[in-house]
Amino acid sequence: MTDALGREAVSEALNPLGIDGIEFIEFATSKPQALGGVLEAMGFRPVARHRSREVELWRQGSMNIVVNSQPIDVPRTVQPSEHPVLSALALRVRDAEAAFRRALDLGAWDIPVRAHAMELNIPAIHGVGESLIYFVDRYDDFSIYDIDFRPIPSVDPHPPAISGMHFFGIVQYIGSDRSADWVEFYSRIFGFAALPDRVRFGIMPEGLLLQSPCRKFFLQLIEPVDNARYAFGDEHLQRIGLGTPDVMATVAALEARGVQFLVSEKVRSNERGALTKPQLGGVMFELVHDEPAYHDAKP
Amino acid sequence: MIYSDIGMDTASLAGTLECKLGAIRDAGFAQVMISASDVVGHPRGTAAGVQAVRESGLRVTGLEALRDFEGLSGNFHAYKVDVAKSMLDVCFSLGGEMLIVEASTSRHAEPDGDAVVRDLRMLAMLAVPLGIRIAYKGVSRSRIARDFCAAGEFVFRANCHNLGLAIDAFDVLAARTPLAEIEALDPEQIFLAQLSDFVWQEIDSVEEQAAAATHFRVFPGDGAHSDDLAAVVRKLDEIDYRGGYSFDVYNDDYQQMPPEQVTSRARRAAEWLAEAVLRRALPVPDIERLRPGVGA
Repeated sequence: MTDALGREAVSEALNPLGIDGIEFIEFATSKPQALGGVLEAMGFRPVARHRSREVELWRQGSMNIVVNSQPIDVPRTVQPSEHPVLSALALRVRDAEAAFRRALDLGAWDIPVRAHAMELNIPAIHGVGESLIYFVDRYDDFSIYDIDFRPIPSVDPHPPAISGMHFFGIVQYIGSDRSADWVEFYSRIFGFAALPDRVRFGIMPEGLLLQSPCRKFFLQLIEPVDNARYAFGDEHLQRIGLGTPDVMATVAALEARGVQFLVSEKVRSNERGALTKPQLGGVMFELVHDEPAYHDAKP
Repeated sequence: MIYSDIGMDTASLAGTLECKLGAIRDAGFAQVMISASDVVGHPRGTAAGVQAVRESGLRVTGLEALRDFEGLSGNFHAYKVDVAKSMLDVCFSLGGEMLIVEASTSRHAEPDGDAVVRDLRMLAMLAVPLGIRIAYKGVSRSRIARDFCAAGEFVFRANCHNLGLAIDAFDVLAARTPLAEIEALDPEQIFLAQLSDFVWQEIDSVEEQAAAATHFRVFPGDGAHSDDLAAVVRKLDEIDYRGGYSFDVYNDDYQQMPPEQVTSRARRAAEWLAEAVLRRALPVPDIERLRPGVGA
């Protein structure tokens, strides 16, 4: 009994918000159809539309992507434009309201609730650059999409994933000498842990890796290589990492669907990972070889 | 342009924000510490104040100053968090990378170390997404941190990458703080050195120090303690402090003088600091680094 309590206390300390993976990742764009083409090639399917706003839900296996074309009037948030931008990350947590309160107490900036794109009472805070971080606690039997989204008729609401693809993480570009600041942000508020330099995934070697306290996904922080001075606006969520047990098979499956992969001196697809060619002004996906053991890695 | 790492405060000057910025630029300074009241008090509103600063071409050292923030509780704390957020927003809109935070002199502030550390951490966290650093500064009348040693203790305990110290040389001189205390600091944790002298020979009480601090500061080189001030700067240099210097001079006389005359004194002070104290040659420090042996 005391052991169980002890373990609970430990897990509470390591994962104070009860984070349990990524609920969705959001793009903002004024040209949702163009982005839809890119998502479709990557294996995502549109499954629902918001009842009153220009917001679509795309899905593949366990992954949800929200495409948001509805401008909101909040400073330091993405205004949808022609070039799609990663505008939000939604975390599954034990208790969204409690997670939100704790984040605010520690120094996060809140977003006025009524301004939220989806009209749902999903608490959100400012993240890197103009991006937001949502807290979602309804993801089991009853989901946030059941309320305000209308399913697209005659579409499988749960399209299977190609080659077992799933969210592996998000890459964020940050300013020079900013890694320590962002490590503090993610570790103090959320309980992320920085991984030692020897732990590397995929084919992109640079940056600092943070593991989520639930050990289900990673964040990668990348400072400018040439020590160039970054303007603030240059800090942003740059790309989604997709985990797969077999990178080359996934590359082949996606190439057959018309997806093109980067081939350069530094970057080429191999069994560790692959990078899609940027489209629509910078939308790209990184494939990363993933296996269960990676998620046991202790910091 | 004179030295790129030496700046002036708008608080030192009389006149409109545009006049102040023009005088600072014309005197050859590249950067400026902005008093929040100069921006939000702009006759055409905050946005116009921000625009004036942006258009001046001067680099913004930071914004000053958030006061009486830490050690409060309940609604008072929540209110001060809103004030802090507002100042961070203004700082961000100016392109400023530092917010000066003066140790609380409020009698409502509890000198409870854990609460102060918690509040400083929260402030540093609020500043992270905006890319702003928090420079915490001891104040002689504060019950929380009356000098840089006490402020440094809190900064050390809070242990945030973007939380550091502003050292006000005036306070070091006025309180006759032993210079050896500076050696105890990590130079990376010092974000700014604020420099001013004063004309009185001695300061005997905290009340006198407060009066001198708010009314009788003069530019370095103009006061009665040039040698002591030079010693403070040399000590900072000695421990490898590589941050900027800002002239933090409030003086009732300067408020009644044309800004150009005040900035010409500031320029003289910059030359005194760079040439007599830090023994640099014109023009800019970056060029000095290319020459072997200089500055060693």
